[in-house]
Amino acid sequence: MSLLDIISHQLVNGLVLGSFYALVALGYTMIFGVIKLLNFAHGDLYMVGGFLGFLSLSAVSSVVGADWPGIFVAMFLSMIAVGFIGVVIERVAYHPMLAAPRLSILITALAVSLVLQNTVLALTGGQYTAFQTDLGFGGLNLGSLFISYNQMVLVATAGVLMIALHLFVNRTQFGRAMRAVSIDMDMSQLLGINVSAVIAVTFFIGSALAAAAGTMAGAYYGSIWYFMGFLIGLKAFTAAVIGGIGSIPGAMLGGLILGLLEAFGTQIPFIGSEWKDVFSFAVLILVLVLKPTGLLGKSEQERM
Amino acid sequence: MMTLTKAATTGALLAILSGTSVLAQDTIKIGVLVPTTGSEATYGQDMANAVSIAQAEINKAGGVMGKQLTMVVADDACDPQQSVNAATKLVSQGVAAVVGGYCSGATLPTLKIFGDAKVPFVITAANSTKLIPANPGNAFMINSTGDDQATKAVEFLGSKGIKSIAIVNEGDAYSQDLANLTKKAWEAAGKKVAAFETVNKGEQDYSAIVTAIKAANPDAVFWTAYYADGGLLIRQLRQSGYQGVIAVGDGSNSTKLFDIAGKAAEGVYAFSNPTAEFLPAAKDFSATYKSQFGNAPGPYAPLTYDGMELIADAMAKAKSTDSAALIKELKATDAKGWLAGPIKFTAQNTLARSNFIVLVGKGNAWARADQ
Repeated sequence: MSLLDIISHQLVNGLVLGSFYALVALGYTMIFGVIKLLNFAHGDLYMVGGFLGFLSLSAVSSVVGADWPGIFVAMFLSMIAVGFIGVVIERVAYHPMLAAPRLSILITALAVSLVLQNTVLALTGGQYTAFQTDLGFGGLNLGSLFISYNQMVLVATAGVLMIALHLFVNRTQFGRAMRAVSIDMDMSQLLGINVSAVIAVTFFIGSALAAAAGTMAGAYYGSIWYFMGFLIGLKAFTAAVIGGIGSIPGAMLGGLILGLLEAFGTQIPFIGSEWKDVFSFAVLILVLVLKPTGLLGKSEQERM
Repeated sequence: MMTLTKAATTGALLAILSGTSVLAQDTIKIGVLVPTTGSEATYGQDMANAVSIAQAEINKAGGVMGKQLTMVVADDACDPQQSVNAATKLVSQGVAAVVGGYCSGATLPTLKIFGDAKVPFVITAANSTKLIPANPGNAFMINSTGDDQATKAVEFLGSKGIKSIAIVNEGDAYSQDLANLTKKAWEAAGKKVAAFETVNKGEQDYSAIVTAIKAANPDAVFWTAYYADGGLLIRQLRQSGYQGVIAVGDGSNSTKLFDIAGKAAEGVYAFSNPTAEFLPAAKDFSATYKSQFGNAPGPYAPLTYDGMELIADAMAKAKSTDSAALIKELKATDAKGWLAGPIKFTAQNTLARSNFIVLVGKGNAWARADQ
């Protein structure tokens, strides 16, 4: 492999990984935007999404097959189900805490994370579940660069979801309400916006995006287990911070940047792959030093 | 009426309580330290099952010194923090000896706890050489150590005409140890280590490492860690078109590897300690195991069975459950063995012989490759 091949390969690897990070990071950032909560249970919703996607695919595969069409149907069902789970979590665990200090609600989020993880642990006995699909091995050869169709579909799906979200937030009445609530919740309420409904919809969309990522990850990598949301939760949180937490385009950008950083971090000469996380987190620190609000984050001015 | 019921209940409770205390004097508690949840649960449950078969057989034959053996299973979850809690729990429950130990990383911190409490510990699966210097003298390893596996790996891959290898580990005590030992032995044989990589446990995407490996273009890839992430790596290596030899260490020797890697696991070599299906002496054991638990015994079941037998044997010979006498008796072991062959210890309490064999993935199952 020539250097150019390696670079283009890692570019593809980074884009695929970054798409997953971005989808999960979006939920983090949207929820932080409206209720200023770091929802640490978000990675676990990705995991639950993987399992529900698996169950849905088992149910529908006899009708639509277990190739991409079947996976899309399963993904859609999983998104709806996890979206509602997200709303229920918000109503049960977070809503009563909204007036409490931020730290209390943060601890509640950790508790929700443990509940989700341990529920799936108890149901699956901690075993890996093989995510059987009929996905092929085909792809495009561009010179010596090979891109599988699966990778293309994955990145494209993530792209479509992100564009849809962007349009929803910027072009619809409800999206406008969401942006208003993220700027000033009390004022929005005074102006007659149904804040409670906005928060519920935000949780629904954020959770559904995580479920989409979870289902696609299960299908693409071929196995799911109860702890799969932990690491990606941390990474997606990092991506959201790099992009500027609270900013939706920031989360997309942050996810892609983190994915690319990790891919290229593996390839730095003379430094082994065990340093790739050090590399990506060093970049995170650098970003925060130079621009404390993240790449696309807005700084808030407070008058004293 | 109310008081009558109450009195009856209290009486029954008292009877149960006194019953258990009488029972406790007539039994010897043996601790079983294995992961029964988490990514390595398959192996841990398998080991606990093997202990229960040995326990039932020993008890049926009259127990040890006329006393019945009871098992206390503690879940270490293959996690160094949880294993410390599990070990402390076993010690506080007053176990006479402990058998088990699957993940080296999780077993390592328990050595001091069992050492301080002077509880004899027969380690039946964990085999990192890092355990050897950490052993306060009460632990006995009846699985061959990483040294023996690295030697076997170099010898076998060499015999396949492999000139350069990539070694991939997961950064934990067990897999890093095996990776370093293999690297040393491979280079000592005058050959090239084309890539030496570490991945994060639980990360699903290994595509960046796969690209790095393909760029280094080795004849073989040797994965030294566990099956869960190994299955993903193998799958991604094959999906990217890597066509060289893939070999895995004994931590990946599970049929679960075929579930996770799918067809990509076909032709993958695994180094393994002798598993039940390849041991003539384990035929009855396999049958019992299958009828009792519904599946075939896993890779560490015979050794763990032997570990339990070894403890019972040492107790019978020492005519005591006193830890000093027991440790002395274990040290002097020179047994013809039970299922997995003779047991004799070196001065460092490790098995005095190598017992690794080579398997190959064929039609979603392991088959012997070195015969």
